[in-house]
Amino acid sequence: MRAGRTGLVAAAAAMALAWGGAESEARTPRDALVMAWNIDAILTMDPAQIGEVVTDEIVNNVCDPLIFLDHDDPAKMVPGLAERWEVSDDGLTYTFHLRRGLKHPSGNPVTAQDAEWSIRRVLHLGFGNAAQYTQWGLSKEKAEEQIRAIDDHTLQITVPQPWPPSLFLYVLTGRQGFVLDRKAIEPHVATRTDGSPDYGNAWLKTNLACVGPYRLTRWTASDTVILERNPNYWGGDVPMRRVIIRHVVESAAQRLQLERGDIDVARDLNAEDLAAVDASPTLRLNGALRHQLYYIGANMDHPILGKDDVRMAMRYLVDYQGLERTVMRYSGKAWNSFAPQGAFGALPPERGLAFRLDIEKAREHLARAGHAEGFTVKLMHGTAFPSPDIAQHFQANAAKVGIKVEIEQMASGQLFSRMRDRNFELAFLAWSPGYPDADANAMRHVFNPDNRPEAKQTMFLSWRASFDRPWFNEAVQRARLIRDEEERRQLYYEIQERFMREGPFMYNFQQIRQLAMRNEVRELKHHAFKVFYTTARK
Amino acid sequence: MAVDGTAVAAGAEAAGRERADRLRRLGREVFRQASAVAISLFGLLAITFFIGRLLPLDPVVAVIGDDAPQSTYDMVYRELGLDRPLWEQFAIYVGKVLQGDFGAAINTSNRVADDLLRVFPATVELATVSIVIGVGLGIPFGVIAAVHRGTLIDHVVRVVGLIGYSAPNFWLGLMGLVVFYAMLGWVGGPGRVSVFYIDMIEPRTGFLLIDSLLANEPEVFWSAVEHIVLPASILGYSSTAYIARMTRSFMLEQLSQEYVITARVKGLSRARVVWRHAFPNIMVQLVTVIALAYAFLLEGAVLTETVFAWPGFGRYLTLGLLAGDMNVVLACTLIVGLTFIVLNLISDILYRLLDPRTR
Repeated sequence: MRAGRTGLVAAAAAMALAWGGAESEARTPRDALVMAWNIDAILTMDPAQIGEVVTDEIVNNVCDPLIFLDHDDPAKMVPGLAERWEVSDDGLTYTFHLRRGLKHPSGNPVTAQDAEWSIRRVLHLGFGNAAQYTQWGLSKEKAEEQIRAIDDHTLQITVPQPWPPSLFLYVLTGRQGFVLDRKAIEPHVATRTDGSPDYGNAWLKTNLACVGPYRLTRWTASDTVILERNPNYWGGDVPMRRVIIRHVVESAAQRLQLERGDIDVARDLNAEDLAAVDASPTLRLNGALRHQLYYIGANMDHPILGKDDVRMAMRYLVDYQGLERTVMRYSGKAWNSFAPQGAFGALPPERGLAFRLDIEKAREHLARAGHAEGFTVKLMHGTAFPSPDIAQHFQANAAKVGIKVEIEQMASGQLFSRMRDRNFELAFLAWSPGYPDADANAMRHVFNPDNRPEAKQTMFLSWRASFDRPWFNEAVQRARLIRDEEERRQLYYEIQERFMREGPFMYNFQQIRQLAMRNEVRELKHHAFKVFYTTARK
Repeated sequence: MAVDGTAVAAGAEAAGRERADRLRRLGREVFRQASAVAISLFGLLAITFFIGRLLPLDPVVAVIGDDAPQSTYDMVYRELGLDRPLWEQFAIYVGKVLQGDFGAAINTSNRVADDLLRVFPATVELATVSIVIGVGLGIPFGVIAAVHRGTLIDHVVRVVGLIGYSAPNFWLGLMGLVVFYAMLGWVGGPGRVSVFYIDMIEPRTGFLLIDSLLANEPEVFWSAVEHIVLPASILGYSSTAYIARMTRSFMLEQLSQEYVITARVKGLSRARVVWRHAFPNIMVQLVTVIALAYAFLLEGAVLTETVFAWPGFGRYLTLGLLAGDMNVVLACTLIVGLTFIVLNLISDILYRLLDPRTR
């Protein structure tokens, strides 16, 4: 049914191309960047609560963090709202000096008190983003002493251990490092059911108050997002006056709009439509490797999946190189390790892509585990590309070695709650780390603080999969305190290669963000962590 | 002849009693109808609520994301009231609805009532244009097919109807976009209006076609027309097929009646017999068919809304359902229930107007 539908659409689209649909002129306003994108995922604009890529990208063009990531190199930190910073000799105290003379859109000055309040509220609200701070030993209980404004322009953060600064500072480059307009938000602070203040969480669902290159002027759910240039932006020239995001779900519809010139950029094209854009003279693709990893996770409590040889066998059941040339041609790079390419500590390519399709090897490992006859196992996955494609591919290869994979497709909400309840056998999922360092995923995929079921450490993927091995816990914690870069890198290499043999997660691809755009659009820069609307020109 | 004063008074009194009686009967009838409506709506709500809570969908995860610690999960779980017994959750919900509070939607962060004021008019606008197309084409086609039964015209109408009835709207929509938007450029693409006019009109009625005229913005109006034509035609096509098929069979039944033969024998023209004699007799049945087709369109067409990026009711309900957001699901269920009830009432009234026997 699906293949049939796609085929028909492809045929129809080919017809349109033959007619010359792609030749038309751009029909969008000259000073506006118009994108078609599925924006169903936007639930709130509150930077403390956002947990998905669409809103993250938008708010990152509305609010400036204390520290910027360089436009071209995501590993390079450059001054943002903090013009400089220093670390004390004992490595425990960070002092940030904010730029002077900056104003929020409300006219309020940007102060260190704003920064203090913005960081503390992330901890107090306790959404997923709080983990970016708690993993470095900051906590809501101690927030008042750990995060302090010394004066209007100086912010001090005290951490309990001397982390490598390059590691800790990344936390301030993301949405949890924004400086919000405290004075503008405070009148809207409401009370939560447990009596605690909501730090403006309810109001910020549909509003933003911060300093940055654009202002959010409209968000209509499943319809439109409009950003308007901030005329007094401190950070220099912003060529596009407006950014308009139109909610379009269908890949084929996005492509037709792109070809007609009704949009400048299409964000959700499928493999066929990406190939068509690639071949078009008036359109082009611009890809960047994100740090999001796709993987099949196994539940270690399962009597068969808990055996290392069984999972080893499964790693040989995916044709990584073949998929990379076909289904994943534009959207992924084959990769088998938890540290994504481009992150500090990631394995060199030949070691990071350690597996290939090898039915014989899979059989050997199964025999060694005592399951030469195979077995039956359930694999659950979501509906979004490429989950169904890769799950079916895996199912077909598994059948060749006697493993009968029963596929269960479900809505993502259901998928996540099954994982949090440890109620699964195999699951196909994706995960994006918060910063470009092996430590990010090591702390979530490998390290497990407390494996007891009642500990409910649901934010650790290792806990969800019941993966609990002392050597890994010790090594991951040791690595994040090593200040010598080479030594730290070598330890990550060791952890990764052991994790490939023992870990519960069978990584297969690293995602590529593809911006399909008209040739008129230039300089729309993006890299693993950000998309910069500010650089775009037409 | 002198008029007896008492007789007049008695007559007036009798008339007054009769009027009072009629009023009382009417009152009872209205009360009976209203309580039937209230009971149906309540039943609908209860069933939806309990089925919805049995689905393995977790609204908390939709709120906090995949990444939050358990303590946050527990707090939001309590904030959403999910820790209370099911009947209590339902009682609280019904109590709030009676005060006009439908709660907030997880997916949009807005009040559900505000969302409905936005998405339902979008769907009503699309459904209304569609049903106008469906009625405008379906009835003539059905009548013509019946009159020319068994001829080429009849077969053509049947085949075209069959395609409209069975081809998935999703596919028709994409083909329509490819041909009329991408190739010919006759219509607008996905969305309700061109990107140039996207926030030019302040919603007053929520119907863009009307709001743009009220705001005296003819360009926006034409852009909205350009954008609604294709999705409305696709939806209207399925309605046309359905209405034409039903019209044909109703008409055939009438055409075989003796009064039609008599009228023809009397020498009346065929057109006059068909339109003036037979057609009024099928109007009552047609009203039911049209009301059903319209109600079906008002539920929102998820796939058509998806293809055309139409911010309507069908997708709103579907997304709410997938997020396990019972506030959205229940409010939408109420709207669908009310739509059916209102259309039923309207059909009832039309029956009385169209069929002299019911007067």
